[in-house]
Amino acid sequence: MRALPPARSPRWTTLAALVTTGALLTACGSGTDDTGSGKPRSGGTLTFAVGSDAGCVDPQQVGSNDTIYSVRQVVDSLTDQDPRTGKIVPWLARSWDISADTTAFTFHLRSGVTFSDGSPLTAQVVKDNFDAVPKLGVLGTLAEGYLSGVRSTTVVDPLTVKVTFRQPNAQFLQATSTHSLGIESSASVKRSPQQKCSDGVVGSGPFVLKQYVQNQSITLARRKGYAWGSSRWAKKGEAYLDRLVFKVVPEAGVRAGSLRSGQVDAIGSVGRADEAALKGGPVTLQRRANPGIVFGLGFNNARPVLKDARVRRAIRSAVDRKQIADTVFPTGTRPATSVLAHTTPDYTDLGTDLAFDPARAKSLLDTAGWKAGGDGVRTKDGKRLSLTIDWVPNAATNQPALELIQQQLKAVGVQVTLKQLQLPQLTPIQQSGQYDAIWGNITRADPDILRSSFSTKLANFYRVPAGGLDTTLAAQAATTDPAERGRLVERAQRSIVRDAYNVPVVELQTQLGLSTKVHSLAFDASSRIQLHDTWIG
Amino acid sequence: MSGSLVEDPAGTALAPARPADPVPAPPPGRRVDLRRVLRFLVRRPGLLLSAGVLVLVVLASFRPGLFTSQDPLQGVPAQNFRGPSGAHWFGTDELGRDVFSRVVHGAQLSLKATLIAVLVAFVVGGLLGVVAGFVGRWVDDVLMRCVDVLLSIPALFLSLALVTALGYGTVKVAVAVGIASVASFARVARAEVLRVRQALFVEASRSCGARWYAVLGRHVLPNAAGPVIVLATLDFGSSILAVSALSFLGYGAPPPAPEWGTLISEGRNYLANAWWLTALPGLAIAATVLSTNRVARALDGEWSRQR
Amino acid sequence: MRGYVIKRLAQAAGVLWAAYTVAFLVLDYLPGDPVTAMAGAGMESGQVDPRQIAALRHEYGFDQPVLTQYTQYLGRAVRGDFGDSVATGRPVTSTLADALPQTLQLTASALLLAVVLGGGLAVAATYTTRRWLRQFLLSLPPLGVSVPTFWVGLLLVESFSFRLRWFPAFGNDGPRALVLPALTLAVPTGAQIAQVLAKSLFTALDQAYVETARAKGAGRWRVHLRHALRNASLPALTVVGLLVGQLIAGSVVVETVFSRDGLGRVTAAAVTAQDIPVVQGVVAFGALIFVTTNLVVDLVYPLLDPRIVVAAGGRASAV
Repeated sequence: MRALPPARSPRWTTLAALVTTGALLTACGSGTDDTGSGKPRSGGTLTFAVGSDAGCVDPQQVGSNDTIYSVRQVVDSLTDQDPRTGKIVPWLARSWDISADTTAFTFHLRSGVTFSDGSPLTAQVVKDNFDAVPKLGVLGTLAEGYLSGVRSTTVVDPLTVKVTFRQPNAQFLQATSTHSLGIESSASVKRSPQQKCSDGVVGSGPFVLKQYVQNQSITLARRKGYAWGSSRWAKKGEAYLDRLVFKVVPEAGVRAGSLRSGQVDAIGSVGRADEAALKGGPVTLQRRANPGIVFGLGFNNARPVLKDARVRRAIRSAVDRKQIADTVFPTGTRPATSVLAHTTPDYTDLGTDLAFDPARAKSLLDTAGWKAGGDGVRTKDGKRLSLTIDWVPNAATNQPALELIQQQLKAVGVQVTLKQLQLPQLTPIQQSGQYDAIWGNITRADPDILRSSFSTKLANFYRVPAGGLDTTLAAQAATTDPAERGRLVERAQRSIVRDAYNVPVVELQTQLGLSTKVHSLAFDASSRIQLHDTWIG
Repeated sequence: MSGSLVEDPAGTALAPARPADPVPAPPPGRRVDLRRVLRFLVRRPGLLLSAGVLVLVVLASFRPGLFTSQDPLQGVPAQNFRGPSGAHWFGTDELGRDVFSRVVHGAQLSLKATLIAVLVAFVVGGLLGVVAGFVGRWVDDVLMRCVDVLLSIPALFLSLALVTALGYGTVKVAVAVGIASVASFARVARAEVLRVRQALFVEASRSCGARWYAVLGRHVLPNAAGPVIVLATLDFGSSILAVSALSFLGYGAPPPAPEWGTLISEGRNYLANAWWLTALPGLAIAATVLSTNRVARALDGEWSRQR
Repeated sequence: MRGYVIKRLAQAAGVLWAAYTVAFLVLDYLPGDPVTAMAGAGMESGQVDPRQIAALRHEYGFDQPVLTQYTQYLGRAVRGDFGDSVATGRPVTSTLADALPQTLQLTASALLLAVVLGGGLAVAATYTTRRWLRQFLLSLPPLGVSVPTFWVGLLLVESFSFRLRWFPAFGNDGPRALVLPALTLAVPTGAQIAQVLAKSLFTALDQAYVETARAKGAGRWRVHLRHALRNASLPALTVVGLLVGQLIAGSVVVETVFSRDGLGRVTAAAVTAQDIPVVQGVVAFGALIFVTTNLVVDLVYPLLDPRIVVAAGGRASAV
């Protein structure tokens, strides 16, 4: 076990470093951080209240932060990503070789790793995982996207596995660090996606799933004999905590009140409103801006009204992003200045394109033939300019943000109806195309998320028309030259923002509330959490 | 469904010779003595207050502009989470909207839903009861068994099943609540029809050879209506509660519509920092239901005893 | 007596059957197409393509004539099988059975609280000779039936969890977490018990046997409790079935307010996800509870009150 600096908690060190270096990936803590409680202690239960349940406990299928917090702890990944530098570091893979054209990735696995069912980690298990993931289809779009274009996964020797792609795939190394490509035991891989969802999976992670009650709770217990943590972690061997209990408490106000009164130790998605309530309590707020695609309106670009780029651009100009960020979201949240968050590598500032300009919105709608009507809603050929925004209640900030957008669009003559869906309904709706616009974001610390979302070669949930954007997105995934990739990613962002396939609104800044007795609860590169080093004392 | 178990319609049916003279709907031609009404009210300040609250609520639902000039849907986002004050009696919500204005405008939605619910229960339940009581025989048996079955399913479960089948929205929720209280209306209506049918004058007009519909329309319905109308006023209060419970659970109108139950369920997100978002709209609901129940009780018992 | 019991049992079974039929009609017949609703809502449906819809339709038997569907469903329901939840894929029966203990705990504590508080209030109000106190006590039950339960729950959370920190605001951990939800659920029920009991206590106190007892020199308190209350609480017993049904249904709101696991939260989630088999199971279960409680009350009633003669018509009537 590595010795820790006695007087300073590791988290404080991390935070200090993050605040000072935070050029690429920033984070900050606020409130008083009580660091004087001495040495880390083993044992105890961490009770974490989250706002929603994805209805699934398979890390390869889950895409919702509240559920990732828990299922992430069950699986290990081949690699890990340093949240400060973005660098990929060893985890289950000791080392790796990448071919010069980024089509072949060879991973050298650690020996002695076992899954919680006792089976060992071998190259064959990794192959089984990577062979099964593309078959998840719409159930695991993220994981499937990471492996798109895979030619084969081959077992070189029992601890060496080689993944080859049909075309260059620069993003794949980062992808192996995500929860979506977390490695599950062969037995789990053989089960159906539905079974994995409802019963959970067997992983090699620092915690083991004990119980899952849908919409209510997820309980994890420490994995005995765990000794293959990420090279980034401070503690070697088993985790500190005995148990993790994630409880689903949908109301932000109840979560905040319960944290203050000490009923829970940590809470997720703390909004601006809760900050005031938590102030003064024995609570630390911990924030980090999520990389990836920002919160915004994902249009169904095939809908007759939204096929017209002028209408989409008008909506883009009618949204007052600053008002939304300042009213609803946690302190420090940035209005969107691109389709990517500023913490994503190769982000480009397109703030001028995303300026609030209602006059321009109105004139765009006028030229598109939508004339102002008597009741304030524009009409064209007797049809009212009205669209439905689907949303899921996975954060308390969603509804007020959308109500503001509703008001802002009403001001330029667009009628908005808000339709609340349940989390499990989201994917089927995206799949079926029975929607006008969906409110959401996707977290990923790699700009290739643009390809996952907007390439017409993949799921293409947003019904983007095929065209030049596809070429740009394919090229950025293929290029090995960082500067060239940067230029291509910039071009892709410009294209998406200019054509308004998506209306970026606000960056997601994850804000957790932690009791002051919780220590070393650190964000990973995707602003989710790893709880191996966390202790209570 | 009904919040009160005290009212005992069967008991009224036991008094066979009670002249069929329903109180709340005085037959035309009889003048209510104004002085007596006033004296009756002055002796009951609670009732007077309740009537006042009801008048205000009804006014609010028809002319919200009389009470507030603020926009219930559009606020000043920079002024969110202001506590109750002179400018904003009920404070402001997460988007800086005036909560008092939202409650006032919400009265329209919530009262509309309640009205529909009571109407559905009154019409459907009343019809079932009248048919059962008037036709009698096997029709009575069959209908009353159906009513027993409806009564055996807890009202909220029945409403929830209907919401599952019909979908969300103010009107659908209202219909679901209304159907859940059909059974009690059917029972009361039947009991009344039976009572009136046996009354002497009905027997008399029957024996004179009057057609059945004439008997029904001229004698039975007007005389049986009273207790059913009293039940409707009682049902009003519990329907407000049921409708707001369903909209609290999220089955009412989508945002930003300020239904009363929805206001409270949205305020729940801010329970830790803005108590007024839940406490004050809830107070409005409680005051309205309390007033309705008080007035209904007066209609039911006190006024008739007074005479 | 034996004939009466058998008759009552048959009646109870009849009502249950009919309640299930109502649930079937409302949930499977009323929506234009339950399968599309389910396919849109359930996560298993993933890909909503026509073939899948056809498969689902076949799986749930919707491609059969209504009557065939109904008999199939009924046949399974009699054996306690309500099919599988659309949202989770688990059998409805075990979903409900898992959630039930928590809800029974909640409703039983609420019923106890309601009887103690409501009964105590009625006794105090009828016993006191102070006019103002009686007026005050009697004004509480109408208040209790007029306040929305979810509002009461939120006020309790606000004051007793967030401000005073005496009780947890949510969850199922131990008896302390039960206090606020049970109290919330007990308010309307307790108010109704108080109304019924106070009314029958006033009636009982006017009866001849009370006069007799007083004349014999029994103390006022003794008369009140031993004679009047005993007789007055019998009518209150007849509404227990109704109250228990109400409490179980009330758990939907209360468990939502307190984020408690249980039948109510399962129900709310099922309605939101349009999980028809689960809602159907819940409705049938609600009817089962109501019918069973009434059956028990009716069977026990004649034993408690010798004045009751069991009528051949079936239901013992006391009021």
